[in-house]
Amino acid sequence: MNILMPQLGETVNEGTIAVWHVKVGDTVEKDQPLLDVETDKAAVEITAQDAGVITQITVSEGDEVDVGTILAVLDVAGEEPSAAVTQEPSAVVTKEPSAGVTKEPSAAATKEPSAPTKQEQTNPETASAPEAKIDANLRLSPAVRRLVRQHDLNISSVQGTGKKGRITRQDVLAFIDSGAASQPALAATPAPITPNSSTPMPTPAMDSRSVIPFDKIRKLTADHMVMSKQTSPHVLQAIEVEYTAVDLVRKSVGPAWKAANGYSLTYLPFITRAIALAITEFPKMNASVEGDSLRVHSLINLGIAVDLNFEGLVVPVVKDCRSKKVSQIAQEIRALSIKARERKLSPDDFAGGTYTISNSGPFGTHITAPVINQPQVGIMSTDGIKKRPVVVESELGDTIAIRPVGILAQSFDHRAIDGAYSAAFLNCVRGILENHDWASEV
Amino acid sequence: MAKLSYREAVAAAMAQEMRRDDRVIFLGEDVAKAGGVFKATVGLYDEFGPLRVRDTPISEQAILGAAMGAAMTGLRPIAEIMFSDFFAVCWDTVVNEIAKARYMTNGQVETPLVIRSGNGGGARFGAQHSQSIENWAMAVPGLKVVAPSNAADVKGLLAASIRDPDPVLFFEQKSMYGTKCEVPDGEYVIPLGVANVAVEGTDVTIVALAAMVPKAIKAAEILKAEHGLSCEVIDLRCLVPLDTQSIIKSVIKTGRLVTVEENPRLCGWGAEIASIAAEELFWNLDAPITRITTPHIPLASVDVLEDLMIPSVDRIVKTVSEMD
Repeated sequence: MNILMPQLGETVNEGTIAVWHVKVGDTVEKDQPLLDVETDKAAVEITAQDAGVITQITVSEGDEVDVGTILAVLDVAGEEPSAAVTQEPSAVVTKEPSAGVTKEPSAAATKEPSAPTKQEQTNPETASAPEAKIDANLRLSPAVRRLVRQHDLNISSVQGTGKKGRITRQDVLAFIDSGAASQPALAATPAPITPNSSTPMPTPAMDSRSVIPFDKIRKLTADHMVMSKQTSPHVLQAIEVEYTAVDLVRKSVGPAWKAANGYSLTYLPFITRAIALAITEFPKMNASVEGDSLRVHSLINLGIAVDLNFEGLVVPVVKDCRSKKVSQIAQEIRALSIKARERKLSPDDFAGGTYTISNSGPFGTHITAPVINQPQVGIMSTDGIKKRPVVVESELGDTIAIRPVGILAQSFDHRAIDGAYSAAFLNCVRGILENHDWASEV
Repeated sequence: MAKLSYREAVAAAMAQEMRRDDRVIFLGEDVAKAGGVFKATVGLYDEFGPLRVRDTPISEQAILGAAMGAAMTGLRPIAEIMFSDFFAVCWDTVVNEIAKARYMTNGQVETPLVIRSGNGGGARFGAQHSQSIENWAMAVPGLKVVAPSNAADVKGLLAASIRDPDPVLFFEQKSMYGTKCEVPDGEYVIPLGVANVAVEGTDVTIVALAAMVPKAIKAAEILKAEHGLSCEVIDLRCLVPLDTQSIIKSVIKTGRLVTVEENPRLCGWGAEIASIAAEELFWNLDAPITRITTPHIPLASVDVLEDLMIPSVDRIVKTVSEMD
């Protein structure tokens, strides 16, 4: 039986082989993990569909493979053995071109030439590698795609002059002529993928150990951030919030919560809930720009930016926050964060976000200007909450009180909404955080 | 060089070939003393007499049957089908006999004949006298298909058609009979299957035929002046043999292809060009291939409607300027 690269989510067409847990000759049980595959969006474990013996492994760690590619051959106990032997090799040979070995003598010497190199040699027209540099959301003509592939270009910085900003063939030719093309291409080719000692380092003066190639998540983040800043005119607006009401509930419920659940009840689920409640009054914050119109979403699905121990950023989504109370939101955020850090989020965990929350607060930041998670129109940064002297006004005169205070900072897309709407929304979030009956929520 | 009209060029080419080769004869309805209903053959009867220039009864089947027999027995007949729409009544002779004789007799029988015909719209003749049927002819193996766009090409291409050893359908665009241009004096022959780059350009390739060529040239001028677009206009001149190399060379340069044709949209010749480009030029295309055609309905005789249906300069300018 062939182990095939599965379809991992609707928009995923390829993945990178991260690690093999088995080798040729290993006997495996049904459901035993065979390998990990990294896609654009997650790391996924591929397990054995049946018990058997691994007779062939056709892709190496680091290879980028398309959906449907044969990854390995599993000789299933009970399956006609001769059938497995006679049928599989032909299929494998076409997928795994041994021609690469005969065509390139140096590759034969290293015995384990990296598969992307072989693919490019044997079938440059269908090699998947160059597609990695082409953003799937861009409409590129065949002529442009061919130029990108021929010249190994990264055209993310090319400004299209065609209809609706389309990047035309002329734009790419001008980009190549300008000389700018050669630089990003170097940066976009991570050195470790094709280690070749005979090739001199392009910049011998620099310490090569200080060059950290972007991994998949870093590259995607970089592309998305540039795209977002190019797409949306960002406006930052911030508001100061007093967390006394939230703190009262956290103090009264907190110890029991921690005892029952094993983790603390933080501010984040309260803020998440407050944003969901405020969005019901300001629905245009929960929207996306489509051409010349704004699509306002009925479900409030809040993305929570999760840091992967400084090794990247992912945004899993808490779905339908309108109908969920703080306690449930807290549990879902906790579960998603754990899955994210273990790189076990499924494509569905990322899908459908309508607004995003970025939480720098635990590090005590004062204010953060976040970048919008496209195609959404707003993103909130929840910054550090700290006890501060606050002037409390009363009829008997003003006094100074010590209160927990923090900044909520929102970047919004000025194409979609104006400052007054955003300000009123922020004020609404503040009002909810300061006055809502939080005891009823946990 | 003399300035000749499209119709005068028809007579000039025929006279040139009839003087050169006495096997060349001419037959059709009202073509002799009357000089043809479009006056395209005036003077031939006077010069070559009733034996070589003959009027026939009003029977297209009879005209083509006689022409085929003459060709099979050693003459080089030119037959006129007054309106190309009437090919519909003589299709059996053309498709099953004339086009296939060489192949089915293993070359023992040849049918070196030319069928000239008034083709295309723009003259308010209505649905049964205005069709552009060059795509019908193009679909039949064994026929050559020629459709000139100016008087000089009429002379050169008609001469080449008469000399050709295979049956040629020669489509004269009847709204163009009055158009004039400089035509070379003396013996003038243009080989079949060589397209003419009427306008050179770098941004868009516009492929046109017959009456669509002057419109494409005019549109190219406007597109250059008003939209800064440099259009290359290719006059195909022949559909069979088809000069694919000229199209390919041009599209490799421009990355964009537009076809302009009088054919109704479904299976018009532009579809064949688009299909060739999609197969041969996919990685050179910087925009979707665009076809400008008449709609897939019988052509109207009312002037405003006919003008609306046949591709116009304005439509070409608008379509090309709005391309991706």
